[in-house]
Amino acid sequence: MNTLRILPKYCCKKTQRFCRLPVSQNRFYARPTSFPDFFQNPVFRKEDQAKLVETTDLSKLAAVPVKPPAVYETCSAYHDPLVNKVINHVMEMGKKQLARSLVEKAFENIKRIQIERYHLASTAEEKNKIELNPKKVLHLAIENSKPLLQLSPIKRGGITYQVPGPITEKRSLFLAIKWLLEATNEKERTIHFPEQFAWELLDAANNTGKVVKKKQDLHRQCEANRAYAHYRWQ
Amino acid sequence: MLSRNWRHLCRRYSQAVTFRTTEASPAQQNEKQIGLFYTMNQETCKQLFSQGGFPKSFQKQTKTFTETAIMIRQPALDLINCIKSSDFNKPAIRYVLYGEKGTGKSLTMAHLLHYAHEDGYLIVHVPWVSEWLRRLPRSKEMSNSQTHEGCVDLPLDAASWLLHFKGQNQHILKTGELKVSKEYVWSKREKTEAGAPLAQLVEHGISRVKYACDVVDALIKEIKTLSHNKQCKTFVAIDGFNSFFYPVTRLSTPTKKKVKPEEVTLTTTFMELTKNDWTNAVILLSADQLAVPDDHQESHFPRYLLYKKGFEHLDPFVPVEVGRYSEKEFLSCASYYRDRLWLRGPPEIDTELKFTSACNPYRFMEQCAPL
Amino acid sequence: MSVFIKHYRPCGLVSGFNNKIWRYNSTTADVATSKNEEDEEFRVLDILKKRDRQQRRVARRADVQPDRADRMAVDQNWGNVWPGPKSFHPSSVPLPLRQGYVPRGQAPPGKKANAELMKIPNFLHLTPPVIKAQCEALKPFCTEWPKLLNSEEAIEKHYPVEIISSDYCHASPSIRNPLARIVTLRIKLSTLNLDKHAKDKFIRLVGDRYDRETDLVTITADRCPVKKQNLDYVNYLLTACYHESWNVEEWEKDKTEDDMEYYDWDKNASKKSLVNWYLRTKNENRELTDEEYVAFDISEIPNGEEYKNAVSNYLNDGESEVTVKNYAKSVRKLLGLPEAKVVT
Repeated sequence: MNTLRILPKYCCKKTQRFCRLPVSQNRFYARPTSFPDFFQNPVFRKEDQAKLVETTDLSKLAAVPVKPPAVYETCSAYHDPLVNKVINHVMEMGKKQLARSLVEKAFENIKRIQIERYHLASTAEEKNKIELNPKKVLHLAIENSKPLLQLSPIKRGGITYQVPGPITEKRSLFLAIKWLLEATNEKERTIHFPEQFAWELLDAANNTGKVVKKKQDLHRQCEANRAYAHYRWQ
Repeated sequence: MLSRNWRHLCRRYSQAVTFRTTEASPAQQNEKQIGLFYTMNQETCKQLFSQGGFPKSFQKQTKTFTETAIMIRQPALDLINCIKSSDFNKPAIRYVLYGEKGTGKSLTMAHLLHYAHEDGYLIVHVPWVSEWLRRLPRSKEMSNSQTHEGCVDLPLDAASWLLHFKGQNQHILKTGELKVSKEYVWSKREKTEAGAPLAQLVEHGISRVKYACDVVDALIKEIKTLSHNKQCKTFVAIDGFNSFFYPVTRLSTPTKKKVKPEEVTLTTTFMELTKNDWTNAVILLSADQLAVPDDHQESHFPRYLLYKKGFEHLDPFVPVEVGRYSEKEFLSCASYYRDRLWLRGPPEIDTELKFTSACNPYRFMEQCAPL
Repeated sequence: MSVFIKHYRPCGLVSGFNNKIWRYNSTTADVATSKNEEDEEFRVLDILKKRDRQQRRVARRADVQPDRADRMAVDQNWGNVWPGPKSFHPSSVPLPLRQGYVPRGQAPPGKKANAELMKIPNFLHLTPPVIKAQCEALKPFCTEWPKLLNSEEAIEKHYPVEIISSDYCHASPSIRNPLARIVTLRIKLSTLNLDKHAKDKFIRLVGDRYDRETDLVTITADRCPVKKQNLDYVNYLLTACYHESWNVEEWEKDKTEDDMEYYDWDKNASKKSLVNWYLRTKNENRELTDEEYVAFDISEIPNGEEYKNAVSNYLNDGESEVTVKNYAKSVRKLLGLPEAKVVT
């Protein structure tokens, strides 16, 4: 039912400085809410608001009731939908504060590692190569670990074939984050989550590591199962 | 390409505000340099703080920043000014640092220690009292005191403190001018004779851990007399001093009896040290909310944290507040962090951070971490 | 058959069968009509004889008098119409009243046969002219207001005790209201003759009945069934508290400094440490007894007086930015240190 909700244009199209990845900024509620369908999602980013003013959509929106923004929907300069998404994936049992602190600690670790590398690097060129912004590292890591194809089991003649096929943007993002977290949780008991997560992110951002290998394995498997591709429509 | 431009922009911005001063000697710093960072010499830093003295988070920062820079702040300058203008023939003056959590009491103390070190004081520095009374690592060792009836010794802690003391006062102890005034007999075979250098006493405590607490006791007494007799001037710095006055410690005897702080020999020793019955010394203490458990952290004012007992013990003392960053200090700190690559992003986010951290130095540092 | 037809609804599915039925039906109907035409008249058996009975009933209008309310004179004396409390009667009240909940857009029901109007208490017997007349009638029995009690202050001075109670009048069968028994006594604490100890004890005895801001003690009693009894009880309570607060019990002497009611600097460790410090600065090593400490004249210590005030304020008024700063200032003066510069 929720998908039938009228979504205004500004919610579907979003352009973010950092964000090249499709993370939707609007909320889909798991349960029915107290808000009727005609309530609009709030516009909480200053950039989006400025755009509204320019396109004079504001007057249309002014007469429509709007949902209150959630706590994580801020106009802070540090708001990043992808980071929020990752935090939500890390979260267990609704302990968002803990999840957030873990992810932020991971960012801090990335930053410390990178700054250390920066100081160790001898030439200016090398220094410039090092990415110091942990959020950019995260974006890069997720971009690198997103698969382009997926295998779906299809039963033909009593045999289940793993059939390669295209993957939706949303699913590939989901898989990327899931793999990153799976790789992080495969750690020694004594190593803490933030450290391991930082390493995984740095590895993935460098196009190395467990997650990227997993993606490449999937791609290879898809390539090998190319012959089954026709089962998708036959 | 874009990121490079970005970095240049950051650099340019950071240079717009001066945040550094080349004046590395705390005695020479003046009002004009408030809010500026000065870099501590690596050697001095190692000598003074290798065994603790900086908060853990700051220690981490020094590693990341590849330098030890401390901001020159009003309370530290005020204290230096007071110390300079006080009369050393009068009883020792007690200064108590207080302030909210994370406002930089320990760093102000570190700044003062640097000053004392440069000025040739004999430094008696306790990095964190709770380390003795409230922290229980697996290797914590306790034994009943031989000399004080019903008291508890913490030999390992005392020994490590002696090591710290030795490290901080290497140059003074090396000269051997400070002599022990009377004979101390530890056991049948071991004794420290009168007239032996102070270093020998310290060495004995470190090598014979069993007597470490008694050695600390003797050492403090010796320092008091030496200082009173104008043979040296002493700078006492105890961080988290209010921990001595919290009704119970986390230590417990083998019979599961909770130990009170006054039943620990180190407490009595340092209580003796903080009395004002001697001269030629400066006593700098700090009352910290973090030094006591959560149930006694409602206020950051000294009377509340020190309890009645502590207040009466110290009175009259000079309370010195360490406050949050002022406008100027915050700006300088932000540009320092930018220079050290710790903070990034457009300059207008400073306002946001200032608002969310409420100008609290520690919180500001924490909030910059994941950015 | 006809029953079947009646309940039958034509439907496309069984159209073949349908045709047959209709045909059959039409033939039988045709037969009946042909028979009717042959008979001249068909007499109907009227068992209940409805027509006759209906004719006999004639709508007879009663001779109803117009409503009393409509016949009332405009200038009548209302007090005579409605002399005392009574439940509502529509014919006695010449008002176009309406009362009741109705769906939107409808007018509420009128006053006649309106149970709601009868249920609620009314004050139709207490119209302003009636009250005025009653007051006039009572006037001869009143005494004159004392001339010296001409202002609020004078009243407060001569009659500090204020008794508050409420009387209720309403139109129910009983004239008593349970709330009328409650009596409140109010008095300013400053008007009572109490010394320091007694005042402190009185405040402790009355507890939260004392308001520090307005200095008022408020005692309320509602435990007795009658107002008179409650009034007596309130007066008793005030008297008892007053006399009890003047009593000094044996255990009251056990109060120590730790109770922290009031910090008396002269008897405290702070003075001791100040004196010790002073003696040390003068290089005198004397051991003083407790009495000597208390008796020590601090005016010979420079800035000692100010320090004393600062410490007393600090401990009596509670810790705050101001008291701590003040303390720091006085200590600095005492120890001869430069003042802290204000951070800009």
